[in-house]
Amino acid sequence: MPLLQTREVTVRFGGVRALDSVSLSADAGVVTGLIGPNGAGKTTLFNVVTGLQAPTSGHVLIDGANVTGYPVHRRARLGIARTFQRLELFGSLTVRENIQTAAEIHQLGSRRRSDVGALTDSILDRVGLDRYAGAAAHTLPTGLARLTELGRALATEPRLLLLDEPGSGLNSAESEQFARLLASLAAEGTAILLVEHDMDLVMQACETIHVLDFGLLVTSGTPDEVRADARVQLAYLGQSDTVSTQAGS
Amino acid sequence: MGEFIGLSIAGLSLGAIYAIAASGLVVTYTTSGVFNFAHGAVGMLMAFLYWQLRVQDHWSAPAALVLTLLVAAPALGLVLERGLISRLNVNDTGTMLIVTVAVMVALMGIAYVIWPPSIGRLLPMFFGPNGHVSVDGELVSYEELISIGLAIATALGLRLFFHNTRTGVAMRGVVDDRQLMAMNGRSPQVLNALSWMIGAGFGALAGILTASTYSLDVINLTLLILNAFAAAMLGRLRNLPLTFVGAVVLGLADAYVTGYVRLTGWLVELVPVLPTLFLFIVLLALPAVRLRAGRAAVSKAIHVPSAGASLRNGVVLVVVAALIAPFMHGIALGNVNEGAALGIGALSIVLLSGYGGQLSFAQYAFFGFGAWLFRVLGHGGNPWALLVAAGAGALIGALMALPALRLRGLELALSTLAFGTLAWYMFLSQPQIIGGGDVTIPRLHLPGLSLQNDRVNLVFLAVVFALLSAGVLAIRRSRFGRILVATRDSDTACATLGLNLRLTKVALFALASAIATFGGAIYGSTQMIVTNTDFEYVSSLFIVLIVYVWGISTPGGALAGGMSLALAPLVEVHIPVRFQALTYFMTGLGALTILATPEGIVPLVSERLRRLNPLIGLRSRHTRDMSVGNEQLLARVEVSRATPADA
Ligand SMILES: Nc1ncnc2c1ncn2[C@@H]1O[C@H](COP(=O)(O)OP(=O)(O)OP(=O)(O)O)[C@@H](O)[C@H]1O
Ligand SMILES: [Mg+2]
Repeated sequence: MPLLQTREVTVRFGGVRALDSVSLSADAGVVTGLIGPNGAGKTTLFNVVTGLQAPTSGHVLIDGANVTGYPVHRRARLGIARTFQRLELFGSLTVRENIQTAAEIHQLGSRRRSDVGALTDSILDRVGLDRYAGAAAHTLPTGLARLTELGRALATEPRLLLLDEPGSGLNSAESEQFARLLASLAAEGTAILLVEHDMDLVMQACETIHVLDFGLLVTSGTPDEVRADARVQLAYLGQSDTVSTQAGS
Repeated sequence: MGEFIGLSIAGLSLGAIYAIAASGLVVTYTTSGVFNFAHGAVGMLMAFLYWQLRVQDHWSAPAALVLTLLVAAPALGLVLERGLISRLNVNDTGTMLIVTVAVMVALMGIAYVIWPPSIGRLLPMFFGPNGHVSVDGELVSYEELISIGLAIATALGLRLFFHNTRTGVAMRGVVDDRQLMAMNGRSPQVLNALSWMIGAGFGALAGILTASTYSLDVINLTLLILNAFAAAMLGRLRNLPLTFVGAVVLGLADAYVTGYVRLTGWLVELVPVLPTLFLFIVLLALPAVRLRAGRAAVSKAIHVPSAGASLRNGVVLVVVAALIAPFMHGIALGNVNEGAALGIGALSIVLLSGYGGQLSFAQYAFFGFGAWLFRVLGHGGNPWALLVAAGAGALIGALMALPALRLRGLELALSTLAFGTLAWYMFLSQPQIIGGGDVTIPRLHLPGLSLQNDRVNLVFLAVVFALLSAGVLAIRRSRFGRILVATRDSDTACATLGLNLRLTKVALFALASAIATFGGAIYGSTQMIVTNTDFEYVSSLFIVLIVYVWGISTPGGALAGGMSLALAPLVEVHIPVRFQALTYFMTGLGALTILATPEGIVPLVSERLRRLNPLIGLRSRHTRDMSVGNEQLLARVEVSRATPADA
C-alpha cells in the first residue's frame, strides 16, 4: 500500500480550481516527482497533504487511513514533514537551533527520548551544514536556507518528506550532492515527494513522476515515459523556456 | 411608543456613527492589509481641527467641512501611509499594531498641545438647539437624523465604488493578489495610499459627528475606534454589509439598555462595555483562523546572555540600587520604586511578546488583579500571597487565552484588549474591588526583614527583578524558549513539525500572566495606596509600546519601560502645563524609532558596548559570530559556496 494517497482532491479558490480531482500516490523508499508549470497546484497539493489547506472535496490517506480532518500538528506526528517554497525558517535562531528545535518539538509528541544533540549533529553533517551551524538563519543565502529547512524536516524523522523546490539556489555541484542525499534518504525507506523546476535534478532523482497542469493530473510514469509524453510537452510549451528545453534535453 | 421611537432613532444615530467610522477601518484594512489603530485618533484630530475652523476662526460649516473632510483628513492619511506604513512589512502584524498605536499616541499628544484640555470646547450642532422634529411627543434632533442619512449615503456610495468602478474593484482585490493587480495597471502603492485617504476621511466624518452629537474629548474620540472595531469584526474587517449590521446592533443595544434597563450592582457600567462585550462574543464565534504559509516575518537574532552573564548583570543591578537608594528621597524615591515594580510586571511582556511574539493589551488588568489579591490575601504583608497571586494569574491568563486560541495576530491581540477593558469596567472598577477611591494595600513583609522603608524596598525590588530576569532568560535558553521563538518566527512551520500551537499558547499566556499578576502584587505592596485609575485599560497599550521601544526581547527593555512610565511625571512637573502632553507626543514619536531599530534601544546599546569592550568581546567571540558578523558570514558563505566547484 502506498504511504501517501490523495483521492480526488479538489481545491477551489473562488473561481480558480487550484486542484481538480487529483489522485496520486507516493511509496515508501521511493523519490516521487511532482512537476508542472507555475500555478499548476503543486504547492496547494502539499498544503492539502500537510493540513494547511482543507480540500473542497476529496481525501488524503496515510497508510490507507483517512487523515483529511486531522489538524496540521497531528499529521506531522504521523511522520509527514515538509519544506516550504517560500521559506518558513526560524530566522532568529541559528542553523543548529533550527534543527535542534524541530527535534525537540518532535520529542514533545513522542514518548521516545533520543539524544537531541547527537541527532542534530548528525543531521547538520548529513545535509552539509556543519560549517554554518552557528549562523543566524536569517542571514543565510537561499540555497543554504533551503538545506536548513530540509535538515529541520529530517529532525522529525519523517516517513513522508514533501520538498517544495529544494533545488533552487543550489549550484550544479551542490545539486548533484543533493540528489545523492535524496537517494540515501529513500534507501532508508523514506517516501519523498519532490516538487522541482530543475528538470535535470528531477529526472536524475525520481523513480516516478506525476505531472500537474492547471490543477489536473496530466500523467504519471517513469522519467522516460514522462519525457516522451506529448501532453507533458504541451503543458510546458511556452510556459517556461528553461523547463521545456531541459525537459527535451 | 414615542419613547421607543425616540430611543430607536437615538440608537440608529449612534449606530450610524459607528458604521461610518467602521467603514473607514474596513476600507483601509481590505486594501492595505493594515489594521489602523490610529483611526479614531485621526477622527479626533480632525474633529478638533473642525472646531478650530468653525468656532475659533468663524468659518461657515460647509467650508470647514470641505477643508477637514476632503483636504486635511486625506492628506493626513496619505502622509501616514506613504511616510510610515508603506515602509513596513504588512505581514508583521505585531510591528504594524505597535506602529499604529504609536501614531495614535502621537496624534493625541498633538491634540493636547494645540488644544489644551483645560479649556472646555463645544461644537455647535449643525442645526442649532431648535433643529428637531417631534415624533409622538419625543424630540428627535436633525443631528441624529443627519448621522443616519450620512451612514446610508456611505453604505450606498461604498457599494457603488467597490462594485462599479475599476479602482474600487481593484481595491477589494489588492491584498490577496498584488502581482495580479500590478499587471492590470493598478499600482498597489496608489491603491494603498488611496485606501488610507478614504479611511481617514470616514474617520474624520465620524469624529465630527460624534463631537457635535456627544462631546469633543480627546480620549473618547480616540477610543471610538474600539466600538467601530467591534462592528467591523462582525464582517471580519472585510465585509461592509455585516459591518453595518454590527454597527446598528451596537447602537440600538446602547439606546435600549440605557432607556429600558435599570442597571445596578456589578452591571452599572454595562453600557460603555457593550461594544467590547459584543466584540468578545463575535471573536468567540468566528471560525478558527487557518495557518498560512509564505507569511513569515523576518526577525533578527538578539543576543541571549548566558546564565553567568545574566547573574552578573543582576548583581550589578542590585549593587547600583543599593548605592543610589541612600541618596534618594521623597517623590523621586517613590517613583523609582514604582518604576522597578512596573519593570517586574513588564517582564511578562518580554516573555509573551519578545520571545513568543504574541501581543497582549491586557497587562494592566493583571497588574490590578495582582494588587487586589495582595490586598485581600497579604495580611501583614504575607509573602505567600505573592505566590498565590502568581498562581491565580496563571489560571486567569489561561482562561483568557483559551477562547482566543483559535485566533492569531491582530485578532488575538484585540481580544486581549477587549478582555482588559471588560476586566477594568466590570471587575477592577467595582467598589467592592478597588473602584471606590483610594484603597490601602499592605507592604510586603519578609521574615526578619521589614520593607517599610522605601530605600530597603527599592533594593528588594532590584533583587526580585534580577532573579526574575534570570528566570526569564533561563526560559529563553530552555527548550520551551526555543520553541517560543520558533513559533514567533513561523508558527506554520512549527505546526508542520508537530507542535500543538494551542497548548503552547495557553502555556505562554499562563506563564506571562503569572508574572504580570505577581508584578501587580509587588506593585500594590510598593505603592500601598492605589485606585482603579492606576490600572486603566488604556495603560496596557502604553506599557507595551514603551517596552517595545526600549527592547521587547530583553529584560533591560522591561526595566527601562517601567522606569519611563513611572518617571515621566517627575519630568512633567518641570514643563509648562500646556506642554505636559508633550510626553504623549514624545512617546508616540519615540515609538517610531522602531522603524530604525526594530530590536529596541537596549539591545542596540548593549551590542555597541559589547563591541567596545574587548574583554567581553573576547569572552563571547562565539556568540558574536552568530549575531553580529552577518556581512562577514555572507562573504564566507559565498567563498565556501564557490569552493566545491574548484575542488
Ligand atoms: N491562498 C490562495 N488563495 C487564492 N488562490 C490561491 C491561493 N493559493 C494558491 N492559489 C492559486 O492556486 C493556483 C495554484 O497555485 P500553487 O501555488 O499551488 O501552484 P504551484 O504549482 O505551486 O506554482 P509554482 O510553480 O509557481 O510554485 C494558482 O492559480 C494560485 O494563484
Ligand atoms: Mg509552488
